[in-house]
Amino acid sequence: MARQRLEPDLEEMLLFADVGINIAKGRRRQGGGRRHRLRRFVGEQSRTGSWVLRGVTAQVAAGESVAVLGLKNSGRTEFLRLAAGTLIPDEGVVRRRAPVLPMIDLGRAFDRGFTVRQNIYLLGGVLGMTPGEVEVALPAIVETARLAPNIDKYLRGASALTRQKLAWTIAMATKAPVIVADGMLVVGDVESRKQCLDQVERLKAAGTTFLVSTDVPRKFEGFFDRAIVLHNGGIVADGAVADGLAHLRELRLASPAADTGKDDTL
Amino acid sequence: MALAYRNGVRIIWEHRQVLRMLVLRDLQKQYTKFRLGYLWTLLEPLGMALVLWFVFTQLLGGQKLGLQPYFLFIAVGILPWWWFSRGVAGAARTFRRNPAILRMSVLPTKIWVIRVVLVAMAEYLLSLPVILIAMLATGTLPGPLIALFPVAIIVQFFLMYGLAMLIAAGAAVIPDLARIVRIVLRATFYLSPVLYSIANIPAGAQVIAAVNPLVGILGLYRIGFWPTEIDSLPHYGISLGVTVAIFIAGSVLFHRLEGRILKEG
Repeated sequence: MARQRLEPDLEEMLLFADVGINIAKGRRRQGGGRRHRLRRFVGEQSRTGSWVLRGVTAQVAAGESVAVLGLKNSGRTEFLRLAAGTLIPDEGVVRRRAPVLPMIDLGRAFDRGFTVRQNIYLLGGVLGMTPGEVEVALPAIVETARLAPNIDKYLRGASALTRQKLAWTIAMATKAPVIVADGMLVVGDVESRKQCLDQVERLKAAGTTFLVSTDVPRKFEGFFDRAIVLHNGGIVADGAVADGLAHLRELRLASPAADTGKDDTL
Repeated sequence: MALAYRNGVRIIWEHRQVLRMLVLRDLQKQYTKFRLGYLWTLLEPLGMALVLWFVFTQLLGGQKLGLQPYFLFIAVGILPWWWFSRGVAGAARTFRRNPAILRMSVLPTKIWVIRVVLVAMAEYLLSLPVILIAMLATGTLPGPLIALFPVAIIVQFFLMYGLAMLIAAGAAVIPDLARIVRIVLRATFYLSPVLYSIANIPAGAQVIAAVNPLVGILGLYRIGFWPTEIDSLPHYGISLGVTVAIFIAGSVLFHRLEGRILKEG
């Protein structure tokens, strides 16, 4: 039972039908630290949870590029994870026609105790490539990430930027027809960002579908065909990018404390 | 039963390439961490067996515990026990170690459990030369029933797999379970016939003791060396039944909790 069940006959590329996901309060994005355990022991944390998203209905057509906008904690990451199937909805159903690549916190999959080469196999495997496929893609990955001399050194020696770029390169090597990204679509230094952007534009021209959580810096506005705005667990706007951005600005003005926290990445 | 097979056994075959890679990497990581590398896999159980042998034959010599030669008896028992205890402890950490991997992994969630199970099993298989060493040291050769040894490995694999699904899913939802598991493990060591034979305990208690799946598994491992262990065969049947029940329960629970586990990512 693979996580992403595909439906080749589906008309849309991605289809959210009345989707809801309920996650216990305070558990999101936290991991299981000691404090967490203690709080649970004291009983402060109830099991009730809250609806991060509810009644979400949306579709993404093949070849479309959709920006997902919203304030902090508006459920953007959950929306993307649902799209990729790395989260199972409590209500409703998410259907997909082709394999979806989840570019979500990619760097977190790396194991610092592994060498660069081993980590390429690890992340490649996590993203659905077989070791055989990784082997074929390996030279190109190492070349693009500029890691050729260090391939058998431990990854813990590499800088954060290098790790980011490596994760990005591996993700691109999967050649997935649908890319779901939480920021991360463009990474690294200025030169690398340009390289990434070129690659992403090429993929878009070749028909890849994109669903990206971002704040859409001005120069990327042209990349997206549509914007979905999430707020209070639901979709509050779905349409032209300019309208979506205007809507987001209104939301920000209404609650200035809520920052999106994703300004530096596309 | 069908679900347990479909989602439990077939998944391993379908993802064998990725699994082989994950397991080899984990083993390599472990063996390159220490200077003596692989040797520790032999030295550690060997040292443990020596200590136990010394305590129970030299210090507390009068007691008739287990079967003779006792050093071999301990060695044959301690290795599967280590597989058991390490496998169970590892299972509790499955989704605690790096829950973030659940955010971007398109592999079936169960792969991470199978990885832990297979690494523990590989370590066990690599430690088997300890039994050869014990055979040499005691000058003992096994009889034809040693053919049941591989059967015991297969049964223990399914036990470990079922337990790992139960514990990994449980610990992902209730973190405290990892602590409870540690305490239960310690008790299980004394409740399992590692230091003694099932024949050593009162006849009336044997049926109850056999609910512990390790009774049957350790019996099967030992039959080849001590044919009298076959006297307890009916008890092994009980153990086997419990193993099957644990495997099915693990499959069902994991399937039910998968959505909850993913939310931990």
